[in-house]
Amino acid sequence: MTEILDQIRQRFGAEWQHVQRPDLLQIGVDAKKVVPLLTWLKEHTPFVQLTHLSAVDWIEEGQFQLTYLLTDPTAHVSLMVCARIDRDAAEAESVSALWPQAVTYEQEINEMFGIRFPGSPRQGVPFILEGWDDIPPMRRDFDTVAYMNTRHPPRPGRKHTDPRAYVGQVFGERGFLHDD
Amino acid sequence: MTTEVVELNRWVQIWFGPQHPGITGNMSVQAWLEGDTFAGGVTHVGYLHRGFEKLMERRKFIQSFPIVCRICVPEPDTNEYLLAAALEDLSGLDTEVPERGAWMRTLVMEMSRLQMNLMTLGGHVGSMALGTAPNWLIALRDLILDRFEELTGARVYHMFITYGGVRRDLPAGFAERMEENLRTIEKKLPLVDNVIFDSSVFRKRAVGVGVVPEEWVDEMSLSGPIVRAMGLPRDLRKDFPYLKYPELDFEVVTAHGSDIYARAWVRRREISQSIDLIRQILGRMPEGPYCAKLPNMLTWTIPPGQTYVRAEATRGEMGYYVVTDGSDKMRRVHVRGPSYVHGVALLERMLPGTNIADLAPLMVSFQVCPPEIER
Repeated sequence: MTEILDQIRQRFGAEWQHVQRPDLLQIGVDAKKVVPLLTWLKEHTPFVQLTHLSAVDWIEEGQFQLTYLLTDPTAHVSLMVCARIDRDAAEAESVSALWPQAVTYEQEINEMFGIRFPGSPRQGVPFILEGWDDIPPMRRDFDTVAYMNTRHPPRPGRKHTDPRAYVGQVFGERGFLHDD
Repeated sequence: MTTEVVELNRWVQIWFGPQHPGITGNMSVQAWLEGDTFAGGVTHVGYLHRGFEKLMERRKFIQSFPIVCRICVPEPDTNEYLLAAALEDLSGLDTEVPERGAWMRTLVMEMSRLQMNLMTLGGHVGSMALGTAPNWLIALRDLILDRFEELTGARVYHMFITYGGVRRDLPAGFAERMEENLRTIEKKLPLVDNVIFDSSVFRKRAVGVGVVPEEWVDEMSLSGPIVRAMGLPRDLRKDFPYLKYPELDFEVVTAHGSDIYARAWVRRREISQSIDLIRQILGRMPEGPYCAKLPNMLTWTIPPGQTYVRAEATRGEMGYYVVTDGSDKMRRVHVRGPSYVHGVALLERMLPGTNIADLAPLMVSFQVCPPEIER
């Protein structure tokens, strides 16, 4: 099944490729080529299903990664297409015209990561969060503890036990699952 | 299509849920009615959002098991297995899982499918206000929960599957007690069939209702009983084999009609299939260790990589996309639940033309589980 990777490399270029398992191929492409590539895959290859669409925040490199998982339902193989976009200009082309359920994925990524998909319906429409006024919460620089301490400060009189300190006191510094 | 149209007195906007006996969990459907028929609608989630994916990015690998089992309350074991399988795939621990551990995982997965299908089959008729079968089926499900309690110590959130295998061995006499429960369930199933599938009320309200076109399967990446009820033999246990399923003898259950009745019939036959599979698994359970020797869970790091693992939940394809960066925590984990497609895009596409009385049965037939939509 790795022939599909060779074909993609020849037609669209590839930054990297990897075979995670015989039924899971991975390829990294330029973000500008994602929609032409996915269109070609859907219309000219058996990879017709969009199983999954997700984003990863690589904050140290100033990039977001978009991951599209396509599946060939007859040969039972999946192809993971990955593309990096600039974190400061977080915008990507929509694939909602190819697969209707991509609208939901793009709506959620827009809400949780702040990545825009111009032309995709429901951009900016709350999906899970309502009245959210902080940075998108799935970004790595969103501090959940600081958010909670600011918005929902602890009530006075509550005793807090740090789990790490507690495990250290009870089981020793190396914890209770050390293997020697 | 909200204020203006409503002002014309043509449509009436209603909120179906989150407080409604017919809604499948904590979600709601904002819908517009024209007479008794829906003109359209939008799914709303967020009532259950606890930020599971974010929480897992801030915890060590072992600390995520109490989180993932909450992603689908009635069927937590698929999540436990997938989290373990994803990180084993990335760390190379997958080759270390002992035979008995893999068989016990398969047992837990089938027990989970059995109890979930019993509950959902009850929901099919419960959503039509037929209360007899749901009461019987919940009681039968409890027998499997008894065995879960015996095996794992918990009835609902088991946290039993772990990296490298499972947490503990089978208790002595487990197979005999399970056999006794399976016989009890089998004895009652003809009565259940009689009350559900021979019921003229159920047939009238389920046959030809909620028909999903076959061309939507690949277009929307549909899976599970929705697809099998169209006659398509798609089942991840066969198509992307995992655990010990390739060594078990079973055929993919299908039905024809693609309506609510066909989906209920698929679930009913999968109950019998799970009973058979549990017997096969317990009959072939090998001796030996049930868990691999694990690294120190407080200092365990996994090399950089990304993977996607999938398993056949009773609702369809459950998948975990996991990215690691060489540290002791996951960089990203994204849970792909079947309800993400079935409960939002598919449901909204099915709403126009649906009668208001058919919405609850339709949602149960899609087996929408809101926590896996919002994670």
